[in-house]
Amino acid sequence: MAGIADFLDSLIGGFDLICYCLAIGSLFWGLFVLRPWHAQDGYSAVLLQKTVALLYKGGFWLAAAQLFKIILKIWLMTAVLERWPFPEFAATTQFIGGIVRTVLTLFLAAYCYRYLRKNPFSKQHWLSAGLVALPMIISGAWLVHGAGRFENQFILMSLTVIHQLAAAAWIGGVFQLVNLWLLRSGKQIPAELWPLLLKRFSVFGIASVAMILISGLPIALQYIDTWNGLIGTGYGNLLMVKITLMAIALGFAWLNKSAVSAYGFSGNSHALNNRVPYYVEAETFVLVTLLFTAASLASQPPAIDIPSLTANWQEVLNTFSPQIPRTSSPTHTDLIAGEAGRVAIVGQVPSLAATEWSNYNHNISGIFLTVMSFFAMLSYVRKPGFEPFKYWPLGFVGLGIFLFFRSDAETWPLGPIGFWESTFNNGEVLQHRIATLLVFVLGVMELSARISKKPNTKLPFVFPLLAAFGGLMLLTHSHVGFQAKSAFLIQVGHTTMGIFSLILACGRWLELKLDRPGKDIAGFISVAALFQIGIILMFYREPLY
Amino acid sequence: MKKIIPLCLLFITLCHSHGAAAHAVITDYSLKLTPIHANNPAQVELSFNSQIELGLSQVFLVSKGDKHQLLQADTGSKQGQIVVHIPPLAIGDYALRFKVFAADGHLTEDVIHFSVSE
Repeated sequence: MAGIADFLDSLIGGFDLICYCLAIGSLFWGLFVLRPWHAQDGYSAVLLQKTVALLYKGGFWLAAAQLFKIILKIWLMTAVLERWPFPEFAATTQFIGGIVRTVLTLFLAAYCYRYLRKNPFSKQHWLSAGLVALPMIISGAWLVHGAGRFENQFILMSLTVIHQLAAAAWIGGVFQLVNLWLLRSGKQIPAELWPLLLKRFSVFGIASVAMILISGLPIALQYIDTWNGLIGTGYGNLLMVKITLMAIALGFAWLNKSAVSAYGFSGNSHALNNRVPYYVEAETFVLVTLLFTAASLASQPPAIDIPSLTANWQEVLNTFSPQIPRTSSPTHTDLIAGEAGRVAIVGQVPSLAATEWSNYNHNISGIFLTVMSFFAMLSYVRKPGFEPFKYWPLGFVGLGIFLFFRSDAETWPLGPIGFWESTFNNGEVLQHRIATLLVFVLGVMELSARISKKPNTKLPFVFPLLAAFGGLMLLTHSHVGFQAKSAFLIQVGHTTMGIFSLILACGRWLELKLDRPGKDIAGFISVAALFQIGIILMFYREPLY
Repeated sequence: MKKIIPLCLLFITLCHSHGAAAHAVITDYSLKLTPIHANNPAQVELSFNSQIELGLSQVFLVSKGDKHQLLQADTGSKQGQIVVHIPPLAIGDYALRFKVFAADGHLTEDVIHFSVSE
């Protein structure tokens, strides 16, 4: 049960940030971008209705997420400590701060639902909503990383709140752009609002990003004090992932801004209506992943606290160095024989068989993906004889079957523990089983999509969605049972693959949505990202533990 | 199609795995400088990088065969420090396994290995 609670606890952090961005970002959007009290902008009632709905729904969901976080903590502590955590838990900052924030968030959402919804053109109501939000925003300071620190506690708490606020302004604004495009494509708002609000958001977005950097830099310098800390710790690694994702998102933002500028000069709205909406969708993928990464970062010990557990750059580089893939596996008997010693606390004996078993699994998976990506590249060649390469997603089906047999060696079909018993009594095995099924289903679906004769089928969109969330999983996945340094050396490979999964997803999404030549470029980038994931897996080496 | 995407997302949600959050880490412990001698009770100071909620934390002595014994722990003289009371032990290899709840809301589990000598 602790595994399920822990798993939900990690998810809720990212969900909480999404809701926060939705609520607070929508508030900023209304106050600084939409400014609905200027009636001459020609806003329709439906636009205001949808904008405010996103605000209060985000608020209600945020309150629910905050409450659920507390419940999960209680559940987790009961499971881990094997006792009811009250009355001690009631006196903690986390409990008190969490309850206060829940109530204040509910208050904000209720105000927006009760009053702002009915007066969406009123400047006074928007300003009042901003005032009501203020205590909720401030209350979040007691729930962040900095709250538990001994030094510069107040500064760290304040900077983190400003950082979150700036991120919410940007990401919440992008959510509102998606909403705006949906209304625009459904012809529920005047067409001229799309370029107008895009232009306004460009300026606001730049200011938000500047504030993210201004507030984020001193936090980073406080938690990471050396270059090795940035390169060789989980905290530094996730920070670099955040920076990379931000750079990708800013790349899309730049494309949007360029399209808006071009429209201003030429009056040609082709790019504005046929490219920008899809760039915004891809940017949304990236930003949602960024939020889950940010939540994951908060669970890592700061680099400054673990100098003796920090890897150096040579060790990090060695993780990616080309090596001959392992194509022979230790026997199942050898693996099982080493397990008792490997998992022992006192008298632990590292298991070479376990490390080699894992290396084999990763390397073979890498060969699967590399070959698939190569076939995927060939499938784009429009010449006779190349048609069979369109069946490349079949590789996922094969990979699913391979993982089914190899993931959990101690369970059926290889091990002594039965299928149903292992699946439902062990959270980790359950997750592996579902992941295996997912890979299998992914292959079947993408294959169906590629050979489908239906012109308007939505099936092709399943693949990029699953790939994006797969990337999210890789970026937020941590490895329990390892020493911090070993865990990091495993994490660094997984997070790199997570970024490539996201690139794969965005590339495929844009390939499906864009016109030429963007479509071809995006498709190539997508397949190249799959190739990179394959290469990383093919050279994967696990530390001996 | 409408059913497929939520189903896929559900799969992914269930697949998503994340280890125990590990924000609070040991920055120092007295065993580094003061080893434990056989058959003498001892106190071990554990210093963390974060404030610790002692009432929601546990420290176990783990002996050969991974036998666990819950130990008494008190707040130390410095911030983020706890003092663990170790009973008299025979010569051998042991571990301290702790589960601590940090002030920032993260529950951390970790192990420190040590040996008892003459």
